Amino acid sequence: MNRVRAVLAALAMLALPALPAAAAPLERAALAADLCGDAAAQARGAEGVVRAAADASAEDLRAAGHLLAALAERRLACGSAGALLLDRAGAPDGQDALTGATRPAAEARAPVLGLRQRALVETARAAVALLTAESVAARAAGLTTLERRAGAVPDAVLERARDAESDPGLRASIAGAAQAAALSSADPEKRRTAVAAVAAAPSGASLARLRALRGEPAAASDPAFARALDAGIASVERAVRIGDGLAILYNALSFASILFMAAVGLAIIFGLMGVINLAQGEFIMLGAYATWGVQEAFRHVAPGLLDLYLIAAIPVAFGATALVGIAVEALVLRHLYRRPLMSLLATWAVSLFLVNLVRVAVGTQNLQFAMPPYVSGGVPLYADFVVTWNRLFAILFAAATLALTLVVLRRTPLGLDIRAVTQNRDMAACLGLPTRRIDRLAFGLGSGLAGLAGVALCPIYSVNPGMGSGFVIDAFMVVVLGGVGSLAGTLVAALGIGGANVLIEPLSGAVAAKVIVLVGIILFLQRRPEGLFAARRRR
Amino acid sequence: MSGAVQTGLAASARVRRAPRDPLIAVLVGLCLAAAIGLVLGRPAPYLVNAVGQLAAFAILAVSLDLIWGYLGILSLGHGLFFAIGGYVCAMHLLAHGTVVTGTLPDFVQFMSWKGLPAYWAGLEHAPYALLLALGLAGLVAFLFGLVAFRSRVNGVYFSIISQALVYVAMLLMYRNDTGLGGNNGMTGFPLLFGWPMGSAGAVTGLAVAALLALAAVLAGTRLLVGSALGRRMLACRDDETRLRTLGYATTRLKLQVWCLSAMIAALAGILYVPQVGIINPRVLAPDLSIEIAVWVAIGGMGRLGGAVIGAVLVNALKFWLSAAMPEAWPFLLSGLVLLVVLVLPNGLLDLAGLRLRPTWARGAR
Repeated sequence: MNRVRAVLAALAMLALPALPAAAAPLERAALAADLCGDAAAQARGAEGVVRAAADASAEDLRAAGHLLAALAERRLACGSAGALLLDRAGAPDGQDALTGATRPAAEARAPVLGLRQRALVETARAAVALLTAESVAARAAGLTTLERRAGAVPDAVLERARDAESDPGLRASIAGAAQAAALSSADPEKRRTAVAAVAAAPSGASLARLRALRGEPAAASDPAFARALDAGIASVERAVRIGDGLAILYNALSFASILFMAAVGLAIIFGLMGVINLAQGEFIMLGAYATWGVQEAFRHVAPGLLDLYLIAAIPVAFGATALVGIAVEALVLRHLYRRPLMSLLATWAVSLFLVNLVRVAVGTQNLQFAMPPYVSGGVPLYADFVVTWNRLFAILFAAATLALTLVVLRRTPLGLDIRAVTQNRDMAACLGLPTRRIDRLAFGLGSGLAGLAGVALCPIYSVNPGMGSGFVIDAFMVVVLGGVGSLAGTLVAALGIGGANVLIEPLSGAVAAKVIVLVGIILFLQRRPEGLFAARRRR
Repeated sequence: MSGAVQTGLAASARVRRAPRDPLIAVLVGLCLAAAIGLVLGRPAPYLVNAVGQLAAFAILAVSLDLIWGYLGILSLGHGLFFAIGGYVCAMHLLAHGTVVTGTLPDFVQFMSWKGLPAYWAGLEHAPYALLLALGLAGLVAFLFGLVAFRSRVNGVYFSIISQALVYVAMLLMYRNDTGLGGNNGMTGFPLLFGWPMGSAGAVTGLAVAALLALAAVLAGTRLLVGSALGRRMLACRDDETRLRTLGYATTRLKLQVWCLSAMIAALAGILYVPQVGIINPRVLAPDLSIEIAVWVAIGGMGRLGGAVIGAVLVNALKFWLSAAMPEAWPFLLSGLVLLVVLVLPNGLLDLAGLRLRPTWARGAR
């Protein structure tokens, strides 16, 4: 009896491709028989589920889903009395696939799924999950699987899922997938509209999708479609190029922001005292570690406010690194103003000491940061250009630092003193300015600014004891190029060097970019040894 | 000081009575004695090797002291010239080994190339390799020195730009397609002038060569700094503007000594690489180049003997401590630097009370 039914069902399935896809019914018994059959029957059954998914009732789909899941997980037992669903692989009894009655599985065998059939079964399960699953995540996972096998899914399935979907985000994703599927639809009109729709939302992925279509026979046989396709590809290419350009500019700007923050403290210290602080990179590292410390404190004291730690870390990092800077100045550099070369070695020793101190005290591993929502993710703006919040945070942070530094230097008594000593130390001393105290405060200010750079780096870079080592050289190039003691020069040079690095990098690699920038700076110094914006100073 | 350079005539008149520096004589004597001791006494190979490496480092320190202590130019990129010597030496050893044994070096096989790159041609001949190493170091130094000194880049500016130079060179050498071994560098040298590399004869020969080279470099640089040129170097260090105003070509003077120093550093690299049996881009790390300045500062800059003492002491301590307690070494090194910089401006020579410093060498920055 059962066998006859199976044969009939198989015959019915064989006849299926001749019928319009939407008309395929979902017969549970036939499906169970197919899945218990040989490799060809299993494939037929799985494909049948996909085809029928657009019209079948939710109950039928769920039942089909249970069968497919059981098959995929080796919980399907096939005997002469029909298919059984087991609770786990090798269980002694299970429920009948059709009636739901509990029967022993003694003489039943579990069919094995081949590699090709497994892919089909996964597609079918994904279609069922997309249409019937309870959780949004399960439906989204189903969509992800279906997108990978776009050619195997009828448009109607995705359209049904789109109409039934309640979650707006997932609904948009399904609409996108439906659009992609419509590109290979049999209806030429539908295909043309799909091309136009894809071209209206340009991205690297849509460009690849359209380009892949050009090789297909449909493009060759249908001149109208080929024209629409070429026009679509041209417009997407243009948009992607603009988007990539914007992305490069954005990266350059964020890199320049970091460079500026690393260099501005160095520029103030060097302009004022002629001392190069080789520990500047380590002050950046200290700023990042201070941020981490604030995060840990928040985690223990006020877990509810954890998202605010990055803001709270700003004054802490500034204060902590400024204090360390003032200590270094008071203990070491104060004695070395007449020997600038020795101050290089001394600050190098300080950097060596700080790196190893942190290494011993905290460890060498990268620190883990909880990313608050305002520095994670981003918003896609145009084509592939995504404005990521963490980089925007760095850019805004650098802009705020610039404004703050300008205010301090231009509008406060300390700033006035710093500018006076920078321009003419002897004359400033003659007028009664306490130059040594100003040096110390300025060194604290410069170090604190490095600490702020550390805060801005936390969401972007990996934070470990050695993170500061690369910064001094780049930052100093910025100071040299911009001209000593000029904030505007530092800004322009940071933008220039950051931009040059990011622009050259895709063409000839990161190393070549560094080489070209260095050679460029050395040659530039031939023409203007004082840098771009030489501060007026009297010696 | 100003009296010494009032006229060229006066300067050259005083050169003939160049003051003695007994420390140099002592050190040269020690080098020769150690060389003889190594040959006759046959100590354990690791000890011989250590002595040889220390001698190579001492040569490197002398090369830096020549321009820092006597010309006031602090190079934080001397690792570059050391590495040029080392890389060319490694290329010679591998090319020579390829000719003799017929097997290609590991990194060539790793990149699945058919043979050595074209620019390796002729490197199996030792004299050519030696010439190339010194010539290349001199050429790079000349080009860099020309653009730097011409635009009057000096002081800390020069130091940092030279550091950037060595940093960029390191990034460049980390690439695998340069034909120089990439980040793994070059190792597995089979032969040295036909001797197997690790044999006692080769080890002793290298150490003795390094000691003799150190003695020769010390004697040669001592003659140089005592000559009229040496006087001009000191004058340039103390007041370059005045010397230039007096009609001396200070740019050419600095360029000459800078190139000489680079070539001495390359010589140190040539002697160093066969002793350790490997060279890789880490030699070009900026930290290592700063360390050379640290040896000189610790030993006592502006004294050739001080550079030797500093290099030998710091590296001997490093050999010992890196094995005994590696965590403590960076702290000790930074403490030592701060101590020397703050308390002993003339290095350990101050501490030893060896105030044999000739009056004309005072005033170094």
